[in-house]
Amino acid sequence: MSSSFDQILVGEEWEETDISLLETLDHVLNRGLVIAGEITIAVADIDLIFVGLNVLVSSVETAQEVLRNRQTDAD
Amino acid sequence: MSRAFYVYCIAESAAAAQLPAASLPAAIEDDAQLEWISVNTLAALVSQVPGETYSEESLADHLTDATWTAIRAMRHETVVEYVAKRTSVIPLRFGTIYLERSGIEQMLTEKSRELEEIIEHLRGREEWGVNVYSDRAVLMSSITSVSPVLRELVERAEQAPPGQSYLMQKKIDALRIDEVRAAVNRIVDQIEARLREQADDGRRLRILKVETTEHGELKAKFAFLVKRSSFEEFRDAAERLAQENQAAGVRLELTGPWPVYNFVNPV
Repeated sequence: MSSSFDQILVGEEWEETDISLLETLDHVLNRGLVIAGEITIAVADIDLIFVGLNVLVSSVETAQEVLRNRQTDAD
Repeated sequence: MSRAFYVYCIAESAAAAQLPAASLPAAIEDDAQLEWISVNTLAALVSQVPGETYSEESLADHLTDATWTAIRAMRHETVVEYVAKRTSVIPLRFGTIYLERSGIEQMLTEKSRELEEIIEHLRGREEWGVNVYSDRAVLMSSITSVSPVLRELVERAEQAPPGQSYLMQKKIDALRIDEVRAAVNRIVDQIEARLREQADDGRRLRILKVETTEHGELKAKFAFLVKRSSFEEFRDAAERLAQENQAAGVRLELTGPWPVYNFVNPV
């Protein structure tokens, strides 16, 4: 993937890898401006969703599908 | 079929005019395109979604499906990323839905001043994430050189007779754990303070779950608001911190640039 939203590991040298799916979802699901829409999805039990997401990420095939989705959308 | 409007982000109308809907990434649902709803100087990026799926009851069910949620959250992110790379934008949290177009127009009108202030505050700035990992095993083995108190005790224990040495060793082990904890906290505080100097703003974030990776355990997560023009300095500061703390088993991870998800609270 060539998204500029790359993760940079700082060590002896900087190396660039892709940001993990969970890191990205954490941003989108938890943060951002909250404006009272007529329906505002209360992702209330965020921890529960993350348990599900962990399962999802460990299920490689599904995770790849989601990542592909991200890539196609970015192109 | 009833339709509702899903809102992704808010930008300036002038910037929105340069980003025609047809050039934008895919919307959250396959069967609809993104569109801008403009009122005076502000524009909201939206797409239509099926009212049945996005009703409150139905959503509660869908959200328990991690795949369903992940795909849509990624699309939300892709859209906001695309716009954030090109202009100053306010990212909305996943899942802001209006039933009528007029509701969005009303929101843009009523909150225009506040929204304009946020956009101005964010102009030319990006969000960078910093994750701090600690490899406990490395720190445990190097803590003696980091802590003078421990070093002295270890030396005395080596000289002491066996019985006394054993008791001293017990004390050293207990102290080692305390010193490791104190060292991690000290390093994390130092990282926060030094990176704040290079940033316009900083937040310490909640760690959702204890993550153990090849770099050790996640000890802290920060978000910093950084001017594009100051990014080199910010990155250099992070690199210096990473080098200084490498021997202590602490590793830094820099992620970004992100849309400014953590810095859009009303100013």
